[in-house]
Amino acid sequence: MSGMNSGINVNDPTVIAAFKAALVHQGIIALLIFALLGFAWITVRAWLPAPASSTDAASVPAVAEPSWRQVLRIGFGLLWIFDGILQAQPKMAIGLPSQVIEPTAASSPHWVQQVVNWAGTNWSYHPMQAGAAAVWIQVGIGIWMLVSPRGLLSRLAGLASIGWGLVVWIFGESFGGIFAPGLTWLFGAPGAVLIYAVAGALIALPERTWHSPWIGRGILAGTGVFLIGMAVLQAWPGRGFWQGTVHHQPGTLASMTSDMASTSQPVVLSSWVNAFTGFDQAHGFAVNLFTVTVLAVIGAAFLTGRRQLVRPAVIAFTVLCLADWVLIEDFGFFGGLGTDPNSMLPFALLAIGGYLALVPSPAPATEPATTEPVTPVPATPGPAAGWREQIRPASLRRALATASIRTVAALGALGLIILGAAPMAAAQANPTADPILAEAIAGSAAPLNFPAKAFQLTDQHGQAVSLASLHGKVVLLTFLDPVCTSDCPLIAQEFRAAGQLLGSAARHVELVAVVANPVYHEVAFTRAFDRQERLTQVPNWLYLTGSVPQLQQVWRDYGIVAQILPAGSMIGHPDIAYVIDRAGRVREELNTDPGPGTTATKSSFAVLLANAARNALRSS
Amino acid sequence: MNRRIRLVSVLTAGLLAAGCGSAASQAATPAVPAAPPSLDTSLVTTTGTWAVAVMGGSAANHNNFWQLFVRPTGSATWRLATPPGVASNGGLVLAGLSAGTVLAGFRPSQDLSYSPLATTKDTGKVWSPGLLDAALADVPGALAADPGTGHLLALLSDGTAETSGPGGTSWTRLTTRQAIAASPAGARCRPDSLTAVAFSPSGKPMLAASCSHPGTAGIFSHARGSWQLAAPELPASYARQPITVLRLTTTGGTTTALLAAGNAPATRLLAAWSSDGGSRWSLSAPLPLDDATLRAASAGPGGSFGVMLSNHHAAAISRTAHSWQELPVLPPGTATLAASPSGGWNALAVHRTQLTIWQAAPGADTWSGEQVLRVPVQFGSSG
Repeated sequence: MSGMNSGINVNDPTVIAAFKAALVHQGIIALLIFALLGFAWITVRAWLPAPASSTDAASVPAVAEPSWRQVLRIGFGLLWIFDGILQAQPKMAIGLPSQVIEPTAASSPHWVQQVVNWAGTNWSYHPMQAGAAAVWIQVGIGIWMLVSPRGLLSRLAGLASIGWGLVVWIFGESFGGIFAPGLTWLFGAPGAVLIYAVAGALIALPERTWHSPWIGRGILAGTGVFLIGMAVLQAWPGRGFWQGTVHHQPGTLASMTSDMASTSQPVVLSSWVNAFTGFDQAHGFAVNLFTVTVLAVIGAAFLTGRRQLVRPAVIAFTVLCLADWVLIEDFGFFGGLGTDPNSMLPFALLAIGGYLALVPSPAPATEPATTEPVTPVPATPGPAAGWREQIRPASLRRALATASIRTVAALGALGLIILGAAPMAAAQANPTADPILAEAIAGSAAPLNFPAKAFQLTDQHGQAVSLASLHGKVVLLTFLDPVCTSDCPLIAQEFRAAGQLLGSAARHVELVAVVANPVYHEVAFTRAFDRQERLTQVPNWLYLTGSVPQLQQVWRDYGIVAQILPAGSMIGHPDIAYVIDRAGRVREELNTDPGPGTTATKSSFAVLLANAARNALRSS
Repeated sequence: MNRRIRLVSVLTAGLLAAGCGSAASQAATPAVPAAPPSLDTSLVTTTGTWAVAVMGGSAANHNNFWQLFVRPTGSATWRLATPPGVASNGGLVLAGLSAGTVLAGFRPSQDLSYSPLATTKDTGKVWSPGLLDAALADVPGALAADPGTGHLLALLSDGTAETSGPGGTSWTRLTTRQAIAASPAGARCRPDSLTAVAFSPSGKPMLAASCSHPGTAGIFSHARGSWQLAAPELPASYARQPITVLRLTTTGGTTTALLAAGNAPATRLLAAWSSDGGSRWSLSAPLPLDDATLRAASAGPGGSFGVMLSNHHAAAISRTAHSWQELPVLPPGTATLAASPSGGWNALAVHRTQLTIWQAAPGADTWSGEQVLRVPVQFGSSG
């Protein structure tokens, strides 16, 4: 998939350090958000007594949150926080597109890959912002769900869970892999985060529906139909689940668990998965028969909606989920770059929630609203007041004074989500990649300050060009082999893109390359190279060449060794660019080795070059 | 049946139906016309015998480096003669010019989109650079030279044929596959692809093609501004078979064509010779490939050809013999054959960076080791 993989090593220390620093900085801001809100809340409550109208609100009985909703809200809130913490793994910023998204999408149809590639490419262009956004959005949603048991804020938390859950399901899990072959409930179908979204939808239901018997029946019937469908899929012949081994190779399920066990993790965990793999290889038919039967029976029991059948079915389902989670899904997050504990815990939570919703609850309890106000903008100035009235400082002060600590915490969680989403949204508006990618490949630029050595060579049009003739302009000078097959074309593309990024400032910058090949150095080759790289229409591009002695002199002056290598190798030469200021002084030496040459790294290098040119323009 | 049971039944039936729809169907194996051989090949000129072979490692990692070897006339040993200055991962194509001059063309690889050229007059000690500002086709007959005038012909990867002035100056478009197909001569062939370029002994450009019209060999000659079919008439037994011209070369006043007739696994190879630019041809006996495919084909002196098959078998033919002589089973790793001055054939076997040259004298039933060359492949230099 083009573009998705930045090609940078996931262990790159530059990127890891930058990601950690970004998280620490944003973490400090997050703490400040909570501290500021808490301080404001305490201060306003101390200075501004709760208005009389809030007493009216207290007299309004609030419906107690039913146990099924508590289970879903707290359970999935904790899961979101856990997922957010997993997103803070140092390798996640670079590794998520290449090690999570790309492998997941690889077996999906082309159109899924296209959709996923768009998101993966965006991530790889802005890994710091995207990585941090995933952390804070998920932690924020989790906290929001945990601290908001009722009211508009609680329902909005459910909606946030739906929205972000679908984003992750589509772009992170490639639609949960439902369009890929080998789909099985045992391994996470239809995608864990889709269940988060379902739970979010249930949490977002209005309070008047909380005690409806249809909630529990609906959850269980939906789960039941799904499980029966999964049982049919599991039983379908030709998918390899009935065989423990095929031609002395592990069958479909054993192959999946074997791969899972081979990832890096504590030995005790992999030994459990390996033990199951061995058992499945020996008794593949029995394992699949058991799976199909249990899924179908549990699904049918859920469909009946009869408590005496549902209760043992939920217990059995929970045990099955936990067994699958340990023995097949390998806890979901061990090995590689785990982003969540996979689907079994969410499934168990959903089923338990469904059962609790089925059980007739006692008469709706009421709680005084003073401990749990419905919204941060309660009675005063009153729902009838216009929104302009509600956002006036005085109204906001009153709202804060009457808000509970939970409401303040929910607002803080919302602040966390904005803290993550805002930089990412701003980064999305920037079509160029983060220069951190280029810095990760090339290292830091070396600041210099000495006169650039003079040269006189011939440009691609056959005209003589000297360094002196470029006086008054910033010169980005590099050395390119016109018949090079890898690095030089990439560097030329980066120079061209840098020129575009400079915009109107480009007229003060000259992009100059000198031929770095003692064999293929004639003007015809520079012209062919320019056509190949679409440089013929770049007005400030010069590709200079000369006789071999002329070129050798320039190479010596700028520390270039153009080495003829034997046996079909291209010319060996360093990838370097010099930044020469308007006064003809060398101000910077950049390592331009393009690394993997992905679209992200090319864009990143272009930003780096353009920034270097801008700095030279400013300093001279 | 209550409503829930009905619902389950409907869902189950739906899932079953969906599963039925996704069942794989058995596809019939399509007939596959013969494809031109690999770029591993050899060429005999007045100054020596030249051979191209790929060495090194994985092409996916750009560690496959094509090498050019030469055994100068009068010498008993081979040496490395790969032109310097360009990465050879895309492949090398050879053509003989006049007076022993040899032209090598680099097929582009990775981000390079055009073909640097190199010419030597001293068996590869010194090379002069040249340029073809387009990509050579991936066939061993993509370059040809007219010894009389020094004009060159190049077959490009997009199906265009270009011609140049003496020594590779000022390339211009000669024709395209589409133009050939639209010509009266092309109508009899309906070319799928162009497979080789050559000059006739009198210096006329010639093109080889794979014809979609069965029973017709696609060899075209350019004269007085138009293209004429200049192919051998094949016996009636080939009338329903697809014919592909795999190689087309001219040496010593003889144009030699190597033809494949029929689809795999019933493909047969035929050699054809003409001394008058394609008006009259003599045709060899067929060589059945017996489920194998042609891996490499090497031109020897006097219109001879050595062919190497995928089943480690090899055969050779000359204009005088007209029938194929089976060579001994090839040594492991053989990349190509090369004509030996003794009248036999060399087998050039590759193992990563080591080239072993084996010799089989005429009529011999085994190969004997002659020479081992270690090539200083620069792994990772093109990655």
